[in-house]
Amino acid sequence: MSVSRPICILIAAMGGEGGGVLTGWITGAAQRAGFPVQATSIPGVAQRTGATTYYIEIWPEQTKQRPVMSLNPAPGQVDVMIASEFVEAGRAIANGFVTPDRTLLIASTHRVFAIAERSAMGDGRYDTGRLFRAARDFARASILFDMDQAAKDAGSILNAVLLGALAGAGALPLPPDAFEAGIRADGKAVDSNLAGFRFGLSHGRGEIAARDESASQTAASAGSLLPGRIAALPDAARRHAAEGVKRLADYQDLAYAGLYLDRLETVAVLGDDALTAEVARHLALRMSFEDVIRVAQLKLKPERFAAIEREQRVGPGQPYLVADYVKPGIEEIASLLPGFLARPLIGFSARRGWLDRVYFGMTVRSNRIGGWLRFRLLAGLRPWRPRSFRYAEEQARIEDWLGSIRRAAKLDSALAREIADCARLIKGYGDTFRRGAGNYERIRDQIIRPALDSRIAPAAAADALVQARTAALADPEGESLGRTLSGFAASLPPLRQAAE
Amino acid sequence: MERSFAKEIEALRLGAGDTFHGEGILAVTKALLQSGVSYVGGYQGAPVSHLIDVLVQSQDILDDLGIHLETCTNEASAAALLGASINYPARGCVTWKSIVGTNVASDALSNLASPGVIGGALIVIGEDYGEGASVIQERSHAYAMKSSMWLLDPRPDLPTIVRSVEKGFALSEASNTPVMLELRIRACHVTGEFPASDNIPATVSRNRRVEQPARFNYDRLAHPPATFAQEKLKLEQRLPAARKFIVENHLNEVMPGDLADVGIIVQGGLYNALNRALMNLGLSDAFGNSRVPMLVLNVTWPLVPEQLTAFCAGKRAVLMVEEGNPDYIEQALHATLRRADINTRVHGKGMLPAAGEYTIEVLTRGLLEFIAAEQPQIDIAAPRTAFSTMQDSRRAAQALIGPDLPLRPPTFCTGCPERPVFTAIKLVERQTGKLHIAADIGCHALATFAPFSTGNSILGYGMSLASMAGVGPLSEKRPLAVMGDGGFWHNGVLSGVASSMFNRGDGVLMVMQNGYTSATGVQYLPSSSGNRVDHQPGGSDIETTVKALGVRWVKRIRSYSLPEMVKALRTAITTAEQGLKVIIADGECQLARQRRLRVTEAKALKSGDRVVRTRFGIDDAVCTGDHSCIRLSGCPSLTIKPNPDPLRTDPVASVNSGCVGCGHCGEVAHAAVLCPSFYKTEIVHNPGWWDRFSDRLHRAVIARLGGRAATQPQPAAGE
Repeated sequence: MSVSRPICILIAAMGGEGGGVLTGWITGAAQRAGFPVQATSIPGVAQRTGATTYYIEIWPEQTKQRPVMSLNPAPGQVDVMIASEFVEAGRAIANGFVTPDRTLLIASTHRVFAIAERSAMGDGRYDTGRLFRAARDFARASILFDMDQAAKDAGSILNAVLLGALAGAGALPLPPDAFEAGIRADGKAVDSNLAGFRFGLSHGRGEIAARDESASQTAASAGSLLPGRIAALPDAARRHAAEGVKRLADYQDLAYAGLYLDRLETVAVLGDDALTAEVARHLALRMSFEDVIRVAQLKLKPERFAAIEREQRVGPGQPYLVADYVKPGIEEIASLLPGFLARPLIGFSARRGWLDRVYFGMTVRSNRIGGWLRFRLLAGLRPWRPRSFRYAEEQARIEDWLGSIRRAAKLDSALAREIADCARLIKGYGDTFRRGAGNYERIRDQIIRPALDSRIAPAAAADALVQARTAALADPEGESLGRTLSGFAASLPPLRQAAE
Repeated sequence: MERSFAKEIEALRLGAGDTFHGEGILAVTKALLQSGVSYVGGYQGAPVSHLIDVLVQSQDILDDLGIHLETCTNEASAAALLGASINYPARGCVTWKSIVGTNVASDALSNLASPGVIGGALIVIGEDYGEGASVIQERSHAYAMKSSMWLLDPRPDLPTIVRSVEKGFALSEASNTPVMLELRIRACHVTGEFPASDNIPATVSRNRRVEQPARFNYDRLAHPPATFAQEKLKLEQRLPAARKFIVENHLNEVMPGDLADVGIIVQGGLYNALNRALMNLGLSDAFGNSRVPMLVLNVTWPLVPEQLTAFCAGKRAVLMVEEGNPDYIEQALHATLRRADINTRVHGKGMLPAAGEYTIEVLTRGLLEFIAAEQPQIDIAAPRTAFSTMQDSRRAAQALIGPDLPLRPPTFCTGCPERPVFTAIKLVERQTGKLHIAADIGCHALATFAPFSTGNSILGYGMSLASMAGVGPLSEKRPLAVMGDGGFWHNGVLSGVASSMFNRGDGVLMVMQNGYTSATGVQYLPSSSGNRVDHQPGGSDIETTVKALGVRWVKRIRSYSLPEMVKALRTAITTAEQGLKVIIADGECQLARQRRLRVTEAKALKSGDRVVRTRFGIDDAVCTGDHSCIRLSGCPSLTIKPNPDPLRTDPVASVNSGCVGCGHCGEVAHAAVLCPSFYKTEIVHNPGWWDRFSDRLHRAVIARLGGRAATQPQPAAGE
């Protein structure tokens, strides 16, 4: 048959990932077959770890005269779209390089999170569900699986798996050995890369089904503590409640876990199961607030060292050191004292402007006797905790929060749920905690309380809470929260000012 | 150097009968050797860095041919290097990134072009325009016109590029004029093949030196009154000579087509994209047999009026395909046709966009319009439908995927020593309030992207300090200039430091001393620990240099020691002491460092030596998912993962296997008082008896105390 146009291959990758290697393997395979081939790329610092592309055109038969090949890809004119990461595949689709009439999409479904996703104050991850759908709707055919995992399993680089998938898909008139030859010719990590290649190959041939992407969520192991009272709760709340009881018994003691259930039941009786479930989750987290004692406790857990050895690939019996970075400030330390000591100390330091300047930084070698003992000592303060200033403060905050949830539940269930969800603003340590708690209080004073005093319509307040929460998580400086709140205040009927 | 070119260098030895396979810019390098070049030089920068890198790594080939290589400290010195061809019959070639490099070189270029050359002078410019470009979008074309230099823009396939280099030297000599060879980004990196020929030793070279200096000849000076005569020479002799050469050597190509009453005039560099666009309309095939006649300008300056008129005569209309603006060629075409009283319609800008890269899509849209207007008898319904189908499909895809698909801007490499400096700046700004930050060119410009998002202006390479000379005096707060050691030696030391001292300026200069021009591919610079010639330290030192210039307040601080950096920067900003304050952030480029370490560490591990591997990690249970650590670092290996805690929904921070153990995240957690979830591990490979003993001891005691603080020996698994 006589060919009328070249095969166009576009590779979407991230700078520094070795997309050039993959490109070289593909062009090499074409050259070995005596096919005219051309590749271009746009390297340079502009691509360092950023999104970049490589473009290849192959003339799939031997010819005397060399055809005129293009240096840029054209939307709607790509035969094979290769993406080393899933959002990059999405970018290619959005740019029109994947079209139903023509394009075979070969992409790894794993995620390398972009900076905006990573730096979000809450959960900023892009929902890739849309990408699976886009791949289905816009690709002629597609080979999608977690090639990062496959590469790790094979000990190869991801590009080897991609190459295998390409070879297996049979989209190019080239035999698998033509591609393998490239890996061999490089002479780098040949065996492991060939392993990766073969895995990709069988995937490309459809011999292996893609692994189930949805099977990531693991259910919590139900705690056996206080089973009777947990069973009395609505189904929706049980899983969280069981986990909460388990956590709080470990955090303080069984009595404290009992207190948790007492509080939860005051909400459960209101009969809004969804609300109870949410409160069960947030309440457990709020009651296990992170103080020095808790941190020490967590740092000593055997599971922790097991996890470290797993993640850091520590061999059996291999000597290693764990150094923890901790830096308690005056507040953290004062919060361990009883209120009548803590309050003056904090007040004094605040006047001196020490609170955000004076810290006691230390690196604790927690798998060495000295460091281990230091943490053990702090963790040992657990029985003292209920007498501590922070404990009293937190319980008050929690009661206030629960109180407003209960009052709101009588007005409007949506409002109650939104108030409950505001608890997610309060988390972390030091600055982070202060910022979160501060944001919550601003929202409480300007939306929650007016709503409970029925100075604002519950529905309006519920909407406002959603907006305020999003705003609070938009920037650490709290600027967007400020804008949102003042905007909300302005939108209120004069009745509000009258009430003040 | 970021990349090794061992394979490519072998290709430079190929001779007649061999076929060269490789990148465009390397084909240029080979073409230089085939042209009997006497000296080469330039300043690195994408997309032409590889030209310099390859030459640096093939010193022995250069020695055989007696070619002198000068790795210049900026484009001005590279342009001045061509001065050798004014008085001597020596072929010289220099290269740089354009438009910026040509801007820096322009003074020397004017003074080179005026007296002209007797030895061929070639300037290979990487036209950094369109997708992938990292500089302002302007055309080098203007320089060719205003200095009367010739500009080649060859079709982007290797044989044509190689021929342009060889003919470029000849053209330069035939017209005593420097010649610029323009290659767009993708053309520099395009792979292909061409029949090689033998390398030619130059008539004048290191191996065949000139015995006597050139005799005094005032006409070779760019100095009045000679300059007045030179201006006339340009127009009366060199220009006609160049046009004659262009025509006789068929540098521009006329391609016939049966649609004789229309035509397309195109810059050589755009030919391949144009042909693909014509294919989309069914008006050409993959071998370039176009139905529309074409005039391909492989020389875009000077134009040859006779060629233009001959091509346009008898045509109803032509389409001028000229990328970028202003549309110099189109304007010249209009004028030429008017003068020749030829009233062929000229389409160009209008049917094609005034600005931006001419991709296949852009060209296809323009051609659809051109054919509809000038060849209505041709049925283009099918291609038009195909085009709109593509657009609809793309619109639908975008609607489904949504506008919130996260962008992926480039950022500092894992473990980069420049990241901690910007963390320090962010932390200092928490106390001093926002600062005016004059940014510069180099890796540190990546701090203009998230999560740092710093920088108020970028005025060019090494210009940051100079660019805030007018800001400081007008501001309450002292401004901060960031500059790399690359920018410092490129010109920051004079236009910045010296000027600031001379004017008793008061500000802060942060110099990133990472030892290389890293952004361009990790090349040596004057203060490098090495030197390409003798591999000895570069010999110039930034600290002594600024002190010699009279700077009294100088601090040299290890980039990774965040607390000291914060302290120094805060002091520099707030101290009552007037005058320029210079902080040298000292930390070797991690790219270069890792390349070295990987080898040595692998060796040590093999030979059973004790190696301690440092890595960082985060306790899932302690991390509450606020991600301040990421907002203060942005390290690629500091990422997020689903929260294993069934009660928590926000993802937790996590350190991936890319971590090189630079320690920055630990420093941040400490300096910014973030959270106690960061930990460092030091894993001992090939442990000695003491390692084993103390480890067992600690484990035993802790176990006795009722804890578990290290691994229980487990079968299998591990290294």
